[in-house]
Amino acid sequence: MSSHLATLIRWLLVPLVLVAAGALLYVIARRLFRWNGKQALGLALVSPWIIGFLVFTAYPLLYSFYLSFTENNLFGRTKWVGLDNYIYLFTTDYEFWPSVRITLLYALLSLPIGVIGALLIAMLLNNKIKGIGMFRTIYFLPAVLPEVAVALLWRWMFNSEVGIINYVLSPFLKLAGTGTPDWFGNKDFVLAAFIIMSVWGIFGTNTVVFLAGLQGVPRSLYEAAEIDGANGFRRFLHITVPQISPVILLQVVMGMIGALQIFTIAMFVRPTSAAGKFMNQLVYERGFSQLDMGEASAIAWVLFVIILALTLLVFRSTPFWVHYESDVRR
Amino acid sequence: MASTQAALPRGLGPHVLAKRFKRFLIYVIVIALAVIILIPFFWMLSTALQEEGNIFAWPPQWIPDPPMWRNFPDAWNAMPFNRYLGNTVYIVALGIIAELASATLVAYGFARFRFPGSDLVFLVLLATMMLPFHVTLIPTYLIWQKFGLVGEFDPLVLRAWTAWGPFYIFLLRQFFLTLPRDLDDAAEMDGANWLQTFVYVMLPQIRPALLAVTIFAFRGYWNDFLGPLIYLTDMNKYTMNVGMYFFMGGVNEAPQWNYLMVMSTLIALPVLILFFIAQRYFIEGITFTGMKE
Repeated sequence: MSSHLATLIRWLLVPLVLVAAGALLYVIARRLFRWNGKQALGLALVSPWIIGFLVFTAYPLLYSFYLSFTENNLFGRTKWVGLDNYIYLFTTDYEFWPSVRITLLYALLSLPIGVIGALLIAMLLNNKIKGIGMFRTIYFLPAVLPEVAVALLWRWMFNSEVGIINYVLSPFLKLAGTGTPDWFGNKDFVLAAFIIMSVWGIFGTNTVVFLAGLQGVPRSLYEAAEIDGANGFRRFLHITVPQISPVILLQVVMGMIGALQIFTIAMFVRPTSAAGKFMNQLVYERGFSQLDMGEASAIAWVLFVIILALTLLVFRSTPFWVHYESDVRR
Repeated sequence: MASTQAALPRGLGPHVLAKRFKRFLIYVIVIALAVIILIPFFWMLSTALQEEGNIFAWPPQWIPDPPMWRNFPDAWNAMPFNRYLGNTVYIVALGIIAELASATLVAYGFARFRFPGSDLVFLVLLATMMLPFHVTLIPTYLIWQKFGLVGEFDPLVLRAWTAWGPFYIFLLRQFFLTLPRDLDDAAEMDGANWLQTFVYVMLPQIRPALLAVTIFAFRGYWNDFLGPLIYLTDMNKYTMNVGMYFFMGGVNEAPQWNYLMVMSTLIALPVLILFFIAQRYFIEGITFTGMKE
């Protein structure tokens, strides 16, 4: 209990420090930079975020880059080892390449399913049918369930002996003459299992965002196309998709970043090491189980570079398919 | 849809039939998908109420017979979940208060004030949304270690004061931007200072956004697993999620599935209840920012 109290006291002190820092910045901005009162107040108001960014984002980002070139076991001294961590990862660590492979494959395969699936579901829910409110609520439920519960539930349903997924599949498996798969123990099945789980994520947040996007498409566009004799599929391709392409872009980027960072679910589903681990799991294991902060930082940076490269790639592709309101009104 | 149908000729021409068939098909798909979504929920509850000997029954027993209500208290008491719940509520409460207070002020700053470089700062803020959490994980851990606070609750709750969630700031800023400037001007004319304007004029206007942020922050802190996992080393300080992680047992142990499903149900319950009460704000918040998680 005393530990709760000590934290509470420190927790109460932090805002005081931040207010003092904000006030100090205000004075500096006014006296030194000769800003007017409103400008200085603006800086003071956003200063908590700036301080948090410098301390908890900018500095750790650079520091982890530095750490990836060192040997550090949390307690001893930090020793510069040059590229050793990266060389070890790329050539010796037998878990590294499989984790890159499964992480990338998972992101690349689950992303289109997630985005296209969510769009189709949103179109379905955009129909005016009876009880649509209730259906929307049901369709949102998967997003409300905490990740821990989702992971445990799926792990149970995928159970190799008595899981209901194998139960449902068993007639087909008998037909194919194979046994029931050990989903999380076999590297041939684990990816499929994670992708099936990701289908669950179609429902929920993505669908709601798409639904809002669809409702923003002007009806007049569809009516005009109908008069021109365009069928449903053509209307979808030439009106719906371009109109909501900014929403699709947002979903692709956020979905990709999220998929590459999969962690909690994997920790609870706990695929065996024969089946493979995701990169973030490896960061956690190398860092906090084996206390090898240098190698863990190197893995984290490889993942960061992958995310950065793929995000830039998506943004570079936008002129070809994303369509903004402002550049159509010619 | 209804009005176009009324305008159509009453007869059952092929056009009308096709339309009716399409509607029928939509119903079938919508209902089928709803059932598919509900099956896992049902299965979770079903396993939670299953007698130990029946868990591994083949074919699976859909409706537990008899339903073992005792599984609920038994699972809860198998580990000190009372204490874990207390710890979790403590973290959630401190986190939400700090997050809400700081994010609102920062968002107000971004929405109503400009200073040299403020656009750049906001751009950086948006960019941090894409930063993977794990890349800053280890140095952040080392910072808390320097302060000697690893093992305490501090790393989980102090940072919230720095308006940690860029999504929350973005959402609140967008709401502030929808408020007419006349509001501020009128308050200023009446001699209110910025703090009075903020508290008495602006805050009441953005209540829906505050609720949305509260809900999301609740979900965020309630679902957080990695933070408590690395920072809380003392068993007495575990949160529900970390407790669950160890409740699963070791790598080679077979988990006790009925108890795990009980705990999954209980962990999901607060968020589910919150969702049913405040569904509108949940969905409004999501559509406003297109945010995830």
